Amino acid sequence: MAVLNRMDWYDLARSTNWTPNYVTEDELFPPDLSGGFGLPQEAWENYDEPYKQTYPEYVKVQREKDAGAYSVKAALERSRIFENADPGWKSVMKAHYGAIARGEYAAASAEARMMRFSKAPGMRNMSTLGCMDEIRHGQMQLYFPHEHVSKDRQMDWAFKAYDTNEWAMIAARHFFDDIMMTRDAISVSIMLTFSFETGFTNMQFLGLAADAAEAGDHTFANLISSIQTDESRHAQIGGPALKVLIENGKKEEAQKRVDVALWGAWKLFSVLTGPIMDYYTPLEHRKQSFKEFMEEWIVAQFERALTDMGLDLPWYWDIFLEDLKDTHHGMHLGSYYWRPTVWWNPAAGITPEERDWLEEKYPGWNDTWGQCWDVFIDNVVDGKMELAYPETLPMVCNMCQLPILGVPGKKWNVKDYPLEYNGRLYHFGSEVDRWCFEQDPERYAGHLSIVDRFLAGMIQPMNLEGALKYMNIAPG
Amino acid sequence: MALFPLGSNFEGDFVLQLIAIDTENTMDEVAAAAAIHSVNRRVRPRPDCIMRVRKQGATEFFPRDMKVADSGLMPTETIEIIWEKTT
Repeated sequence: MAVLNRMDWYDLARSTNWTPNYVTEDELFPPDLSGGFGLPQEAWENYDEPYKQTYPEYVKVQREKDAGAYSVKAALERSRIFENADPGWKSVMKAHYGAIARGEYAAASAEARMMRFSKAPGMRNMSTLGCMDEIRHGQMQLYFPHEHVSKDRQMDWAFKAYDTNEWAMIAARHFFDDIMMTRDAISVSIMLTFSFETGFTNMQFLGLAADAAEAGDHTFANLISSIQTDESRHAQIGGPALKVLIENGKKEEAQKRVDVALWGAWKLFSVLTGPIMDYYTPLEHRKQSFKEFMEEWIVAQFERALTDMGLDLPWYWDIFLEDLKDTHHGMHLGSYYWRPTVWWNPAAGITPEERDWLEEKYPGWNDTWGQCWDVFIDNVVDGKMELAYPETLPMVCNMCQLPILGVPGKKWNVKDYPLEYNGRLYHFGSEVDRWCFEQDPERYAGHLSIVDRFLAGMIQPMNLEGALKYMNIAPG
Repeated sequence: MALFPLGSNFEGDFVLQLIAIDTENTMDEVAAAAAIHSVNRRVRPRPDCIMRVRKQGATEFFPRDMKVADSGLMPTETIEIIWEKTT
């Protein structure tokens, strides 16, 4: 029997909207979950996306991807790559798995919301595949690190991190809860798939796969590449939704969602990816600085995507570009100084050769960040290790939940961006973080940062021991 | 007397830090409490200077003997600790 070409039937098969008779449209698609933006079903039926993948095609391709990644893992299991890996590379893996693996399952839930509640049939179809993508990513990124748990108990954080109150995890959860767990279907498509996945993770996974191959970790490289090919597809879900909104006079609402999500994604990248690229990756394997990577792969790509869409660059674009040379150095110095509170062993990455590289990539590094490191190094050399560990908490931002920091040394510019709201004093790491909060203060006002929890007596005893216990970090 | 949290923004350091002081502490004592977490950790000591305290963004320092209780500072408010040359 002759089979129709896909394009002869695809659009018809995907047209699954109907006119409900027994319930109202709002009962079928509750606005809080659907996010119809006041637009009728017909407007959303114009949603179109470029992949147009069918279910049989999806299954076939995904099976091949799984077979590829799992067979590389099986073949290399006795290669002792982990045992012989540079400590910095192990930190990369630990940070990545802990921050990402369980988040993939959460993302599956977000995709499922688009699958059920979006008024756009094309989106429902694509996010069905996207949901299965995310389940696959969760499964793989728990299964792959599991073989290392018996060698290094920190690898257990791949599974454990999301259930803890470790400070970086609070930050990650706050962001992901904001953009994907507590938004309507259309907002998820904009904030998760367009802003976070198109803007950041898709490109991040490309870079990470290349770094893994360079470091000789072909199992991890194949895993990451396998995931990235899914990302590049389902990251396209949000673009057509933006197009529908803009065509129907909803540009302002769309723009605000992009701007809020993009800033949160940037802050999370500054603490996770920035240190990995500029400090943890062994010097001989570094291809680009974090700033160069961001400018080439993220900034240029995002500027093009926004312009193509008919959106504006976020109002804070100049602040963002300026921050590319600073913020992640502070996040690295902070996570290193407070190193007992993270689930990986941060590599300092400040040998004389590495400092030369940092000075070349970031002129002025020695007069700023280097000034703090000089004092730290003197303490280590002089055996004053008690001064090389913290005795208090950093103040953290009530939006991104990360330390409030700035440039130290000769260009000292550290600043708090406070806001008094309903009698409570909030603190923010930047003008943009404060702006994000102000867009919907009731959404965020009830959340307690790790410092707020400490001051509320939720962390006992009120010292480092109590803080580590609260964060589920057991000694050793 | 009551415990009072403040955010310490120490000149030359890279991060705001939580410090717990007492409402009866003077500004010199506040500066000393803040210095514990910055000086000799990430900021070099400056023997030619004393440390002064001001509200973030203010140009005037608090008087050195002013008590926190009289300063008008709110709990968790950010103070700047600035090196001032003695000569």
